[in-house]
Amino acid sequence: MVERAWLIIIRFGEYLLKQQWVGLTIIWVLLLAAGAEGIGRRVGEATPKKPAAVVKMTDQLTFEPARVTIKAGETVRWKSASLLVHTVTGDPALAAKPEDAALPPGAKPFNSGNIKPGGQFQHTFKVPGTYRYFCIPHEGAGMIGVVVVQPATT
Amino acid sequence: MKRKHVFRRNVIIFVPGLLLGLIAGLVLSAGREAPAVTRQASGNMAAIKMLQALAPARGYLQAHRGVQDPLGLLGGPVKVRIRQSEGGVFVALPDHRRLDKDVFGTPRLPRAYGGTPGINGVPPILRDVQESRYTVMKKKSPFGDKYIVMADGKLRLEAVDATATDAAQSHDSVRMEASWRDKKGNTYTVQCCQMLATHGVEFPTFGGVVTNHLLHGFTRLGTALMPTEFTYFAFWGMGSVSKNGKVLDHPRLVHGMLTEYVRTQGYRLAFDREVTPTRQQFHLMVAPFKPVMKEGRFIPSPVKTGFTLPNGVELPFWHVMFENLEVKGRRG
Repeated sequence: MVERAWLIIIRFGEYLLKQQWVGLTIIWVLLLAAGAEGIGRRVGEATPKKPAAVVKMTDQLTFEPARVTIKAGETVRWKSASLLVHTVTGDPALAAKPEDAALPPGAKPFNSGNIKPGGQFQHTFKVPGTYRYFCIPHEGAGMIGVVVVQPATT
Repeated sequence: MKRKHVFRRNVIIFVPGLLLGLIAGLVLSAGREAPAVTRQASGNMAAIKMLQALAPARGYLQAHRGVQDPLGLLGGPVKVRIRQSEGGVFVALPDHRRLDKDVFGTPRLPRAYGGTPGINGVPPILRDVQESRYTVMKKKSPFGDKYIVMADGKLRLEAVDATATDAAQSHDSVRMEASWRDKKGNTYTVQCCQMLATHGVEFPTFGGVVTNHLLHGFTRLGTALMPTEFTYFAFWGMGSVSKNGKVLDHPRLVHGMLTEYVRTQGYRLAFDREVTPTRQQFHLMVAPFKPVMKEGRFIPSPVKTGFTLPNGVELPFWHVMFENLEVKGRRG
């Protein structure tokens, strides 16, 4: 279906070029570029990246493993193996204790919101450095994890 | 002169210590296998009554429990709504409570020993000592580090804190239903309160509901086995305990409270200096004691919870923590 739509759009572009309608051709090119970006973004969202690491959240109030190491641009997936509601929160502004959250310079904070039993969450880490994150309801009970992001190999 | 001063100081420490030791010795023997001698049993009862008489709020309760028309809260009533609609709960198991020096003092200068053991204070003889400091309570209680997680924790609570002090009557109210489910699919429910504890037995209840107050720990408001905790909301009342919709125990003293977070690494019950002030949790307690209002004291009474522990014994209390909360409160 998508392929057929693309075919129609391209044939329409060829027609515009043959007719030498320059103005309309420019508008067509711009629309084509915007559409391609939009479709590309949607496809990216619908197909989650394969995670470089998977971290389990448990009833013992732990992230397992508590520390994972990945490369910049890779993704970590957190899976709930717990009957409890947890969060994956890397945001110093939401931490009860400052030492429970840390981000490398330039990295944006992240927060999963409530992850129900059996649920999951994933986050792609673009900036190298050490990320310290926590579970909001169980921060006091020491539910804290670390993601080490190494520079991507060229 | 100096020697006389030292002697007087030693007497001040030694005499109350001796008295406490005697009382506590009797209490300990009360906890042993059934004594053959009736005289000893009555001695144990007398010792527990002596401890109960040492509950620090006795005078306050005497002044307030007969008040027919108590004053309201300064600024007006507070309405409270608490919900948990998803996620599990933590169910406390019997355990030996570690003893916090800030609450229980030291063997030389013990604190928090009066009142019914476990309900209010802990007599020194029930405390293990190592290297001149208290370590744990010798008997297990609902206040320890052991727990299990159960599924589908649900909490619906609506309450009003209107009356300020303990009294004979109260304008406070609580409607609460809490439930959770075990691995076998059994659902346990606690409902409250057909009747509020408008005044306390050994410690104040502030008309049945209290808001924005310190409880437990050094305060002696409730058991000293829980850490001192800022309490946004608490209630005491008579309710029921059910399993799969069938009432197993009724009426039971039910206590609930929304507090700062009092668990630490690995879900260990915190000491006073370990609490997390900027997180909240709701505790639900159905205690293995019943109040004897006419005599102003508590007697042991295991709760029929219907939940069997791995050792085959029925869990004799419910102490359940809800931590995925929506909380609303307003004046007026």
